[in-house]
Amino acid sequence: MKSFKLLFVSIMLMLAAVLNAACGSSPSTPSAQPTTAPASEPTQAVAPTQASAPTQSAASSRTKIRWFVGLGAGSDEGAIPAQNAFVERFNASQDKIELVIEIVDNNVAFDTLATQIAAGNAPCVVGPVGIRGRDSFKGAWLDLQPLIDKYNYDLSDFDPNLIKFYQVKEEGQLGIPFAIFPSFIIYNKDLFDEAGLPYPPAEHGAPWVDENGVEHEWNIETLTELAKKLTVDANGNDATSPNFDPQKIVQFGWMNQWTDPRGIGTFFGPGSLVDEKGNAQIPDHWKAAWKWTYDGWWKDWFIPNGPYGGADFLQGPGGPFSSGNLAMIHIHMWYVAPWALGNVDFDWNLAATPSYNGTITAKMHADTFGILKGCPYPDAAFEVLSHMLSAEHASELLTIYGGMPARLSLQPNYFQEYNKTSFPNKTDINWDVVVEAMKYADNPNHESWMPSFQETTDRYNEFWNYLANTPDADFEAEVAKLKADLQKIFDAAK
Amino acid sequence: MAIVPDLSGALRSSIGKAKRRKLSQLEKKEMRWGLMFISPWIIGFLAFYLLPMIASFGFSLYDFNPAIPDQARFIGFANWQRALFQDAEVWRSLRRTIHFAAISLPISLLFALFLAILLNSENVLGRSIYRTLFYMPTMIPLVATVLIWNGVLNEQTGWINVIIERLTGIRATGTQGLRWLADPNLVYYAYTLFGLWGVGNAMIIFLAGLQGIPKELYEAAEIDGANWLQRLIFITIPLLTPVIFYQLVLGVIGSLQYFLAPFVLNNGTGFPEGMTRFFMVYFYKQSFTFFSMGYGATLAWLMLIIAMIITIVLFGTARYWVFYTTEER
Repeated sequence: MKSFKLLFVSIMLMLAAVLNAACGSSPSTPSAQPTTAPASEPTQAVAPTQASAPTQSAASSRTKIRWFVGLGAGSDEGAIPAQNAFVERFNASQDKIELVIEIVDNNVAFDTLATQIAAGNAPCVVGPVGIRGRDSFKGAWLDLQPLIDKYNYDLSDFDPNLIKFYQVKEEGQLGIPFAIFPSFIIYNKDLFDEAGLPYPPAEHGAPWVDENGVEHEWNIETLTELAKKLTVDANGNDATSPNFDPQKIVQFGWMNQWTDPRGIGTFFGPGSLVDEKGNAQIPDHWKAAWKWTYDGWWKDWFIPNGPYGGADFLQGPGGPFSSGNLAMIHIHMWYVAPWALGNVDFDWNLAATPSYNGTITAKMHADTFGILKGCPYPDAAFEVLSHMLSAEHASELLTIYGGMPARLSLQPNYFQEYNKTSFPNKTDINWDVVVEAMKYADNPNHESWMPSFQETTDRYNEFWNYLANTPDADFEAEVAKLKADLQKIFDAAK
Repeated sequence: MAIVPDLSGALRSSIGKAKRRKLSQLEKKEMRWGLMFISPWIIGFLAFYLLPMIASFGFSLYDFNPAIPDQARFIGFANWQRALFQDAEVWRSLRRTIHFAAISLPISLLFALFLAILLNSENVLGRSIYRTLFYMPTMIPLVATVLIWNGVLNEQTGWINVIIERLTGIRATGTQGLRWLADPNLVYYAYTLFGLWGVGNAMIIFLAGLQGIPKELYEAAEIDGANWLQRLIFITIPLLTPVIFYQLVLGVIGSLQYFLAPFVLNNGTGFPEGMTRFFMVYFYKQSFTFFSMGYGATLAWLMLIIAMIITIVLFGTARYWVFYTTEER
């Protein structure tokens, strides 16, 4: 009996130890350190945390700052070694902070980050992250303004409007500008040459001159006609031919690649699904853009619809365009990167966004790095952030992510360097298109916040999938249904 | 001979005996040692199953977003009220799940049984090779299986459509062809097809059941002039009912938890036309996409309750159609 009691006590002690290890070692959700603490140097601010920091390495007295990558660019295979190298260089330059990078695949990054935050294990630095990523974690970001003030961070090298872009009502300054990704057309030169068609204009507002030398305003109508001529069936007939067989298409003319209904709506002009009173709305020009796309899928056949989207001949490392069987796409600067266009076996270039009703809108993506409220070392995290965004080091990261620098001082030589690094054998890229496109950025931004952000996104994507896969859909009824459903979601969020 | 032992009878008997008399010192000591030896499992169960379950019930009473845990607030049974009376999608997703189970479960069970009977026949040459071949696909991770079938069933270039078109001349490819994964009328059959590829496990269990049926019964039936079909209906199926029951219970629970294929193929969007937004997909969306963790916990509990009710009903019906050879009737 004695031996049994001894064993029982031992087991209970073991159990207590296991439970302690499971529950006791991880801190409960740490609240952010007050960022209005008395001013001190960043290196001093991190010092007190070193004595009993839970993330402190036994081998090193440095404060570990975790950097989470995955909500935006950065999780594709080609970007990983370069980011690791950046971290190694940072760590080699430091004796107080150790940067630890966590790269999570984009399609699971949102869940992973949410789980980490909920478990009280939030990373400190998150990014690059766009508006969509940021607004998916509304309320979780640290207001950087007190840290900007505390360390007198110099913002004079940024466009003031871009700084305002990261100011969120009731939440503060959630980011410092890092990279901007204007949008434009990328076209397959080989397919144009094969069809004997002149390339689209490389200057915003310039006309397109057709194969007979006739000028056409570079607008949606011209784009549609051009795209139809570049859509070809297995018999070699293009989509303007009466003999064209839409069931046997082997090459398409156009696609708004990798965007959603808000992005496609913005192709015809900026707008929002939320009106000023917080109610659901479908802007008329968005509806027009959606109808144009729907007809492009099922009537004019120049855009790959749902069934064609999965076809083998449209697969490539950079999606349909990199397959070589799609003539033109509208996409952002982040696509002009080696992982998407580095190994394609055709020639390509950049062109201007066409106008709709006389107005050009080139939607913009803007990425930054944020600090989460759950970060136990906001001062140290801000030091990392300052390093990443500095004029000296931002270029290294911009090259990895293919972003155009938000820092005004880095913009003049950026494309020259980026071209040399990313596409050393290509000398004819129309980089001016990218710079020009900034003037036509969308306001409000197509990724702006909406009530119940994820649920709203889910609903309009369902609407879009239905249209992309249903040739005889009642377009008007579906749009009305979407609006009604969005209203329900918005009402529930109030 | 019992193919699956009737444990409920043994348990009732033991409990009855324990009630009748007090345990001796030796028995008490043995029980303590017994409990001690299973304590690692009990500790694991408590720490990793029971406590999280209790915690998830606690979550169901909160409005809890994991991205902003400091804003969690207690809302009582509001999530339960929403799930039971306000959110029509809960019941729609459950209806879809049952609809899919009604198609896929009989097909899967019958196919597994058919294969097992076939591979139990002495007239089939190379039975071991066939058994191995039919079992092999179950060793492939389900995600890979789904992705492979996604290619095979591709409406434009999938070889099933290409073969149908070449053999029959019917236009099976293209936007007007057989859109296995995009047509609401076909998608459940396509998903069932994924499942058939992994039917090896069920086949092996049926095979074990078949091999447990005494040969004398067949010999006696043959002497009485019973043909193959009669032997199947009057000997094989009745004696296999405990295994069928076991497979049915597991199959029903598995169907209620169906998640992976629609998630891998469509990221849980419910495509086409919401047909693949099954209950667990909806649960996932609420919990991990919309970050409504409290509501997600409610849905998880609701599924547990539904699964328990269905299982109890199945057990209730078992006495009418499941035949245990050790059971007296």
